[in-house]
Amino acid sequence: MSTEALRPPPSRPLSPRRGAWMRPLVGGGLWPAVPAVAYLLVFMVLPIGTLLLFGFVTIERGRIVGDSFTLEPMLRALSDPLVWRLMWRSFWVAAASTVLCLLLAYPVAFAYGSLRGVWRTLLLVAIVSPLLTSALVRTYAWLVILGGRRGILNQSLIWLGVIDEPLRILNTDWAVLIGMTQIHLPFMILPLLAVLSERDRRLEEASLNLGASRTATFFKVIVPMSIPAIFAGLALVFAVSYTNFIIPQLLGGGNYSTLAVQVYEQTIVVLDWTRGAVLATLLLSTCFLFVLAIVSLGSRLSRWNEVRR
Amino acid sequence: MRLASGVVWADRIGMAALAIVTGFSILLLVAPSLIVLAVSIEPRGYISFPPSGFSLRWYEAVFANRQLTDSVLVSLRVAFSVMLVCLALGVPAAFASVRGAFAGKGALNAFLLSPQMMPGMVIGIASLFFGAYFAFRASDAMLILSLSVFCLPFVIRIAMARLAGLDPRLDEASANLGAGKLETFARVTVPQLAPALLAAGAFTFIEAFDNVTVALFTSDVRARPLPVELYYLVQFDSSPVIAAISSLEIGLSFLAMLLIARTVGLDRLGR
Amino acid sequence: MSHLVIDNVSKSFGELPVLRGCSLSVEKGSVLTLLGPSGCGKTTLLRTIAGFITPDAGRIVVQGNDISDMPPNRREVGYVFQNYALFPHLTIAANVAYGLKVRRTSRAEVARRVEDALRLVDLSTFADRYPAQLSGGQQQRVAIARSLVLEPSVLLLDEPFNALDARLRLTMQIELRKLIQRVGITSIFVTHDQMEAMTLSDTVAVMHKGVVEQFGSPLDIYDRPRTAYVANFIGRANVIPGEVANGHFDDPARIATQAPAGPAVLVVRPENVTVEPATAGDAAPGWPGTVTFTTALGPTVEYEIDCGWPEPLRAIAPRSPGRPQAGPGDRVVARIADPAAAVVLRRQDGAHVH
Repeated sequence: MSTEALRPPPSRPLSPRRGAWMRPLVGGGLWPAVPAVAYLLVFMVLPIGTLLLFGFVTIERGRIVGDSFTLEPMLRALSDPLVWRLMWRSFWVAAASTVLCLLLAYPVAFAYGSLRGVWRTLLLVAIVSPLLTSALVRTYAWLVILGGRRGILNQSLIWLGVIDEPLRILNTDWAVLIGMTQIHLPFMILPLLAVLSERDRRLEEASLNLGASRTATFFKVIVPMSIPAIFAGLALVFAVSYTNFIIPQLLGGGNYSTLAVQVYEQTIVVLDWTRGAVLATLLLSTCFLFVLAIVSLGSRLSRWNEVRR
Repeated sequence: MRLASGVVWADRIGMAALAIVTGFSILLLVAPSLIVLAVSIEPRGYISFPPSGFSLRWYEAVFANRQLTDSVLVSLRVAFSVMLVCLALGVPAAFASVRGAFAGKGALNAFLLSPQMMPGMVIGIASLFFGAYFAFRASDAMLILSLSVFCLPFVIRIAMARLAGLDPRLDEASANLGAGKLETFARVTVPQLAPALLAAGAFTFIEAFDNVTVALFTSDVRARPLPVELYYLVQFDSSPVIAAISSLEIGLSFLAMLLIARTVGLDRLGR
Repeated sequence: MSHLVIDNVSKSFGELPVLRGCSLSVEKGSVLTLLGPSGCGKTTLLRTIAGFITPDAGRIVVQGNDISDMPPNRREVGYVFQNYALFPHLTIAANVAYGLKVRRTSRAEVARRVEDALRLVDLSTFADRYPAQLSGGQQQRVAIARSLVLEPSVLLLDEPFNALDARLRLTMQIELRKLIQRVGITSIFVTHDQMEAMTLSDTVAVMHKGVVEQFGSPLDIYDRPRTAYVANFIGRANVIPGEVANGHFDDPARIATQAPAGPAVLVVRPENVTVEPATAGDAAPGWPGTVTFTTALGPTVEYEIDCGWPEPLRAIAPRSPGRPQAGPGDRVVARIADPAAAVVLRRQDGAHVH
């Protein structure tokens, strides 16, 4: 039987219905995402829009007073040296803690890649368990550790004879820096873990085979390959540190303030919602700018890497 | 290719530095939780370390404190609701963003994950202001709604990762063996997705249970959830009662961690 | 009427044509292999038969019924995936039972037929294990049992041996051939391995760039390739350019041909070329040339001979320990041993060799 016996049928146009089954039941189109998108529009986009708006209009009894649009609160905040001082402190504390996180996280993630079996699992538990423990609980732990004369750190150091007088750490920048670094460390480790634990060891062997030392291999092969993860971690840790108000409040003490702390106090304590909204707008927009800077620096560095490779 | 001996020394110093920093980081990660656990069994009325003995009096104090136990109930209720809302919204959304074929999928994904970029405080204040505009007061409902915004990306991310890992040929195999779309979904997709959903649920529950940054702004003043209660306690008091509550929270998160480790694997949380 | 007819099927992915008017037919109980390099459209054709892909034009007819419009879950066409696509969350028995359960078969019958199917592939003792606990070869047998238990009219297999290592591959090929003979099911394989195609099939379709270049029995295709592409893909061939005039190709032996006059190529298998040292006064016609490379393979020697053409002439000759053989640099004369086994093709056909 040959195929020539069959007359070639006319070409059929492709009807859209056919092949429609190929799309799995849910997820063929956009519609399964519609509830989530609608939810975020109503409960995230609109509220944040309202928040931004509140800094520029007058509100009385929860109602916008007509024709009350004004830039005055924003200009007042921008001309207030206190706001700039707080922003600067927010920035440098967050930046310092982010850099510290990277320095502490990288070796851990690197060690994780070299470990096998039970040790690897234990290390993973050590990394993830703080993430699942409330940040408030960990902040409290630092209160206990760094606290005045009875603080565990001072008790231990005096007992060891390292110091005679208790150190004053709590209620200083140092306490805030230490707390932030420890509390956000897992955020830095996890992205690094993903790349460093699945890295191609043959590249390192190739580098060693070509005569590079382990140190040179580390800085010339391993670190450049993890640049995207490094910058993902930097952006995340910076953002959460810059906008955290719990840690500065509790570890920095009653007189310590940052931009984020001010936003909280204006909204909840002083109940000046206009000022709260203006400061929140400043916090959010500067945070985005810094994160954008980190991300674009990261992509530039990794592009440079790709060209070099 | 003779290597200078200095290079080898540099390597040894490098390795040693690496080991020291790693050890220090691990200590830093683990020690605070352990110290809290230790402080919680202190028999005396103030914090000391190491504890001067063993006593469960602070745990008893926690359970005797009506305000605290009430706040635990509020938190459990809220966390459970948030988990349900996030699963109901997040899982279908993850389907669309992994399996859907339509223009603008990248934009959709970015939007769905965008709450991650929002500090909890901003979500909290924004919800508070938005509610105020409609004369809607901070309440359990507002807390659940705002926390769900905060937690939604966790569910979407975990579900997306699992869905992307599913072999699309399994769906084809199911069709080839005669199953329709619904049956394929029920018999092939759901069973494979189940562990990820369990993990996402556990993670969301813990995040909602522990959250302070959103809850401070949107929770009911008369029925505060545990983290908010704890926040005010910590500000004015440092009695070992707080260590006892904290220890209970640490225990809870360990349970969640076990669950996640058993189902999707802990190392997946960071992706 | 053939059991399965693929009639003028075409498919494009966007602007890219993947299948261009493919027509094939398979007799009941026979084994067809779609053979071609990656990207030739063979898997697309197989997926079109299963219904995973909808053709832009053409028909697929099974036992006289046009199934082109049927959704894949109603086709009764078994499909064995390249990675087997076993459901990881189901036991082996549950994997095999899947299609029966979907068809709401009674519990007792499911149990009976699953048992039979597992016995058929010799995996009865593995019923309660999970796919991850099985070796690649065992997984393949589960995938086949999972399809066969439904008694499909056609069994489609997408590169079923790809995931297996070389040693296991040969054993499984023979086992599978025996199984198909025993069950008597019409089967279509996809492969890029010509040895596999020769081992398994009653008929072979050589595909190239979305077109079926030749369709016939394996030996027929080997002996009488219709295009230079086919000649090169099935086994190895020397493709020698030349002219046809007066019913003869212009090689030294002047091979007779029915090809029309004009530019042509001569296709000669390496084993059909003899190599002898060039001696003065040798009158028999042949191509003079210089040996450039030799490979001794135990029973045979392969020569590469520079005859002044762009490609070297390849020859395979039997080797025996006592006899001296030509080495690189030696002047030799190459001749066609059996002119009847050489094929002359028009140059147009040979145009898409490379």
